[in-house]
Amino acid sequence: MLAVEFILIMFLASILAGAIGAIVGLGGGFVVIPVLTIGLGVDIHFAIGASIVSIIATSSGAAVTYVKDKLTNMRLGMFLEIATTSGAIAGAAISAYTNSMVLEIVFGAALLISLVPLVMKIGEDIPPIPELRGLAKRLSLKGSYKELDGSQINYNATRPGLGLVGMVAAGMISGLLGIGSGSFKVLSMDLAMKLPMKVSSTTSNFMIGVTAAASAGIYYARGDVNPLIVAPVTLGILIGAFIGTRILLRTRNPVVRKLFAVVLALTAIEMVLRAFGL
Amino acid sequence: MRLRDPEAMNDLVSYLLRSGVLLSSGIITLGAVLALAKYGSLSTSAFFVYLPNQIPHGTFNVSFSGILSGLAILDPFSIIELGVVVLLATPVARVLLSVFLFAAEGDRLYVYVTIVVLALLLFGILVTPLIPLFNA
Repeated sequence: MLAVEFILIMFLASILAGAIGAIVGLGGGFVVIPVLTIGLGVDIHFAIGASIVSIIATSSGAAVTYVKDKLTNMRLGMFLEIATTSGAIAGAAISAYTNSMVLEIVFGAALLISLVPLVMKIGEDIPPIPELRGLAKRLSLKGSYKELDGSQINYNATRPGLGLVGMVAAGMISGLLGIGSGSFKVLSMDLAMKLPMKVSSTTSNFMIGVTAAASAGIYYARGDVNPLIVAPVTLGILIGAFIGTRILLRTRNPVVRKLFAVVLALTAIEMVLRAFGL
Repeated sequence: MRLRDPEAMNDLVSYLLRSGVLLSSGIITLGAVLALAKYGSLSTSAFFVYLPNQIPHGTFNVSFSGILSGLAILDPFSIIELGVVVLLATPVARVLLSVFLFAAEGDRLYVYVTIVVLALLLFGILVTPLIPLFNA
């Protein structure tokens, strides 16, 4: 394949990845990795290096809009980020001594199982507001945002301990497999902490950038971040993320949740296929 | 610039993110255009050689001195890598600024939380690549 064709294909695929990623709170690796490996025959290590950079591009690109609109809950994100960054560093350290096939099967299976509770509340718009108490109260894990019709949505987080456990797992997976594991982050906030879907996806969007940055140094130094691959990926993702943020602001929570469920199912299948070397 | 005003700090975070993203995409676009001009009609196979038994695994520069000398001769890949480094810096800058954002809001607890995250982040980026355990 000619370099010019490669650049064009990756640029277009990355626009799609960035747009979907920015809406559901994932990094875009779920599109970038299979297009590179299955579609274009690139080595998996270069694909993972490109995925790490694409996660940071999705995160920072989308954040330009989300910070201004105050959808992202920075307190919640920062508190949980202690767990994900430590998990990511630990994961990167033990990645050399583990079998990634087993990990991919476990992760894929975990994602498939978590589809069940997700689908059960598929139509939910705003979750019932739990009472703010205990650790969540001391950490002021609450917030509010404006819906597109101008109404103010208030929310409280519950079970921060369980959320924290989910985030350590998300961080470990991220460090071990070189993915953003935004899927696990959104799930932890949505299922354990009972936050509105848009808050979960935009806060995950903030978090995946920080988690990916924590392990990016290792991938960069290893020489896995290939410039010819990351150039079209980064540019495409940034454009896509900009489009995605505009769409999210106009979309209601149940639609975001449905899209997330579909992407989650595809990611899970992809992970299991990768484990079997397909 | 009133550093004690949370609204002003939020605007500053937004401004910083936008500048970082625009700067990095500008640099990468320049690199991509030069790469297209120089290598566009070549086969990709020459650029995607993965060497599992050596560090770095790729056939391109990753050291800062290598990138700097590449920039001097307008090497497309060195320019792209500079843009990637700027992009990698944006989440770090965002966490760093959040320390001041929480300080402006008078939220001591979250100033500490954010400093812990910043320390972990800098450890991950700057220290772990130097530890052999992480480089297998």
